[in-house]
Amino acid sequence: MRELRLERTGKRRRAAQTERNPLREGLRLERVPDPHVVVLFGATGDLSHRKVFPALAQLWRTNLLPQDWMLVAVGRRPYTDETFRVEIGRSLAEFNRVPLDREIERQFLDRIVYHRGDFADDGAYDRLAERLDGMDREHGTTGNRLFYLATQSSAFPLIVGQLGRTGLDHEVHGGGWRRIVIEKPFGRDLDSARRLNREVGKVFRESQVYRIDHYLGKETVRNLMVFRFGNGIFEPLWNRRYVDHVQITMAESIGVEERGSFYEETGATRDVVQNHLLQLLTLVAMEPPATFEADALRDEKVKVLRAIPEPTRADAARNVVRGQYGPGWVAAQQVRGYREEPEVDPISETESFVAARFQIDDWRWSGVPFYLRAGKRLPKRATEIAIQFKDVPHRLFRDAAVDPEPNVLAIRIQPDEGILLRFGSKVPGLGLDIRTVTMDFTYGSAFSVDSPDAYETLLLDAMLGDASLFTREDEVEAAWAIATPIVDSWLDGPAPEFPNYAAGTWGPEAAETLIERDGRRWRRI
Amino acid sequence: MDAARGTTALAEATIGGPVLRWSSRTRTIAGIEAELARIWTSAPLTTTGADGAPERHVAARTSVMNLVVIARRPEIAEHASAVIRNLAGRHPSRTLVVSSADPDGPSWLDAHIQAHCVLPRPDAAETCAELIELTAGGESGRHVGAIVAPLLIHDLPVTLWWPGDPPLASPQALDLLAMSDRLVVDGSAWSGDGLDRLAALAAIVADRNLGDGHLAVSDFAMLRQSRWREAIASSFDRPELRPYLGGITRITVRYAAHPGAGVSGTNVIKPLYHVAWLASRLGMSVVEPLRPTKPGHMSGAEHPDIGAPVDGVLRAGRRRVPTHLVPVESTMPPGTTLAVELTATRGPGSLDVAVTAEAEAVMVRSSLGGRALPVRRFMAPRRTEVELLAETVESVGRDPVAIAALVMAAELAATG
Repeated sequence: MRELRLERTGKRRRAAQTERNPLREGLRLERVPDPHVVVLFGATGDLSHRKVFPALAQLWRTNLLPQDWMLVAVGRRPYTDETFRVEIGRSLAEFNRVPLDREIERQFLDRIVYHRGDFADDGAYDRLAERLDGMDREHGTTGNRLFYLATQSSAFPLIVGQLGRTGLDHEVHGGGWRRIVIEKPFGRDLDSARRLNREVGKVFRESQVYRIDHYLGKETVRNLMVFRFGNGIFEPLWNRRYVDHVQITMAESIGVEERGSFYEETGATRDVVQNHLLQLLTLVAMEPPATFEADALRDEKVKVLRAIPEPTRADAARNVVRGQYGPGWVAAQQVRGYREEPEVDPISETESFVAARFQIDDWRWSGVPFYLRAGKRLPKRATEIAIQFKDVPHRLFRDAAVDPEPNVLAIRIQPDEGILLRFGSKVPGLGLDIRTVTMDFTYGSAFSVDSPDAYETLLLDAMLGDASLFTREDEVEAAWAIATPIVDSWLDGPAPEFPNYAAGTWGPEAAETLIERDGRRWRRI
Repeated sequence: MDAARGTTALAEATIGGPVLRWSSRTRTIAGIEAELARIWTSAPLTTTGADGAPERHVAARTSVMNLVVIARRPEIAEHASAVIRNLAGRHPSRTLVVSSADPDGPSWLDAHIQAHCVLPRPDAAETCAELIELTAGGESGRHVGAIVAPLLIHDLPVTLWWPGDPPLASPQALDLLAMSDRLVVDGSAWSGDGLDRLAALAAIVADRNLGDGHLAVSDFAMLRQSRWREAIASSFDRPELRPYLGGITRITVRYAAHPGAGVSGTNVIKPLYHVAWLASRLGMSVVEPLRPTKPGHMSGAEHPDIGAPVDGVLRAGRRRVPTHLVPVESTMPPGTTLAVELTATRGPGSLDVAVTAEAEAVMVRSSLGGRALPVRRFMAPRRTEVELLAETVESVGRDPVAIAALVMAAELAATG
């Protein structure tokens, strides 16, 4: 085994050496991807309009896309190139992070063509293959293709199968690379995720597959690794000896909006816990990777997921709380309950809130609980990771009115990214009172406020072939192995007493009990 | 807010954008120190918490760096201050813009102290960056180091931006560089051909006594070429073309020159950096530094009025690589790179790469054994000083690639 590993390492080193272009050294930020065509399935959908096109437009604006670049938008609706461009222009006006110069927008839109076709129709793919070949000749895109699946997840196997049938997945020698970006949800439980991985694996090699979880593209999430492994003072404290517990919160103030039918099928656990929250957990808990290469990083993340015991039915009942919002008030507005939302079953049992207590059985974290909570219609929009340190071992200031509170290091992911440290400080005066103060670091105040959107980062990474921030096959399955028993345990249990929290509150009473049972409380965010 | 000594009470900060929150004048170093302390004691520390109760935040003094600008003339100081104000949310913690005036008069000091604050969100404390515009008259203007030293935030990196023609070898410069971590210049703005200053800059880089032995250098002239370097590097990305990097036989860089430049000299820093970057990346050494072409060798295309081409020889392994910098009459600003041309051989094969500037783009045209490869186009709009300074203040550490290119450029230009 050891020999095998050494041999593999040696092989990788040699390969890296022959690939090196000495002129590339030091060209860090300027790398422009090879010429290529993006083939966007589900181009008429909400995700494409809100996220994908604006991100591509920003990359174009900042000259990070190659000049020989084209996008084929595949959809079922009847558009021409021209009418589709008008539509995208409208979305850009609404969703762009930085407004585009008119001329730049025109250049960008000129590179988008519309390809109408049903995802099940063989003819549509044959025509697509011909069209792509034609583009290589006309626009110099040299056979490189990035397929992007922004469709309903039910269409993924169909599209992947068709790409395989037409040979669009083949990386021909000297004929360019083929990569596929797959949006979430990647399966709806462990079985379906495995099935989907198998279907994708029949056509694409794992190294060609980029499963997107946009949370990993956020600046703060990426900075979490720099924060942990680029600073000497935190890592020694980052373990069971000093950390009392960790809280990860993802609160949304909005309800299900227009996504009622989608959410009915999904619920909070599948929508955000299985992916975003468990991703954050792995980044907080993982060991330092040996290198910053995609696989080294993902190996460490998978280890964390595997160290979380698969919840039994009893674990789920004891350590997981679900909730659903009833009518209430959010931000001075009266809002309806979940069951009154459009396209939602009036006796729906779908959870809009989930709180859970996980443990990680490894040397670093044994005995340190990780509390996760996520929900809709909570009082505010906020996502953060809070590391709460242990109390001081000895109470020195007996005369102080209150004991010092434990230190907290909070990493704020949204709305505005930053890091916050709470510590005790003496109140000025003759007495010796201790007051907790907050040292608050906001990215915007130290660096450019113009951070790229997560989709810009991830799209560029996929174009450059860097998979570090994408989820690997085994990672997806390991996360589902944790989430699936939880949602399954609800299937045949007694009906929940929903709604059990009013919109605009921090979730059901049981969520408080979950953490108070351990003598702790949720952070007031 | 205290209204003493010309302090002005200013507008409340709005979310996101920087707002001038403090403005005062003083005439002594001690006065400046006192004013800076007052900014920090009067900034609002208590804000409204989520539940409406007052919540105490430590004033977030997001300390990133000191930026010192040495402006030898008032118009340079004004220009630099304007560039810095435009950096908006990228403010360094403290900026000192120092200019000197009336060198033969009595010593005096005039300082304008400002704080620009950003309110990141309604429930946070403001974060402020200070801007001190200082004019030193008479003798004190010749001891800028003594003015700057007490005003730096300690334990933070110091970036020294020296626009115009810095006297890099002067004792005054060495004083300032001794307390700096990074020197920022614009080699393409130096007078004449710029080569004397380049030599001085290379000497500074080699001086282990400066910047604790790690003085970093950023030259806007080199930063502006990043997209060119990307374009040149991209022509060797294809695995089958990569070996040609080991077989380069000729490097030619053509640059813009105006008639009459033959006398005053065109600044050749930018074209020289292209050759130096390539040579240093490819492990070449200098055999013959660049020298004006002998008159008999000059081709008809070059006009003597725009200056003579210069030729040199590099060595890669056992191979000699002739290198040329060729002025071409052009309406572009003098010294602008117009084309970088490379010829390479490998066995019987030959590769020609021509990278040229066209409007706001850089075009890469290559041919392999006479057969044209697909043309690639890279957008390379001219970057403003604000963008370049922003990149500079955000970069950290000594960039070994830039340093190697700089040292190689000085060797190529050696006059000895």
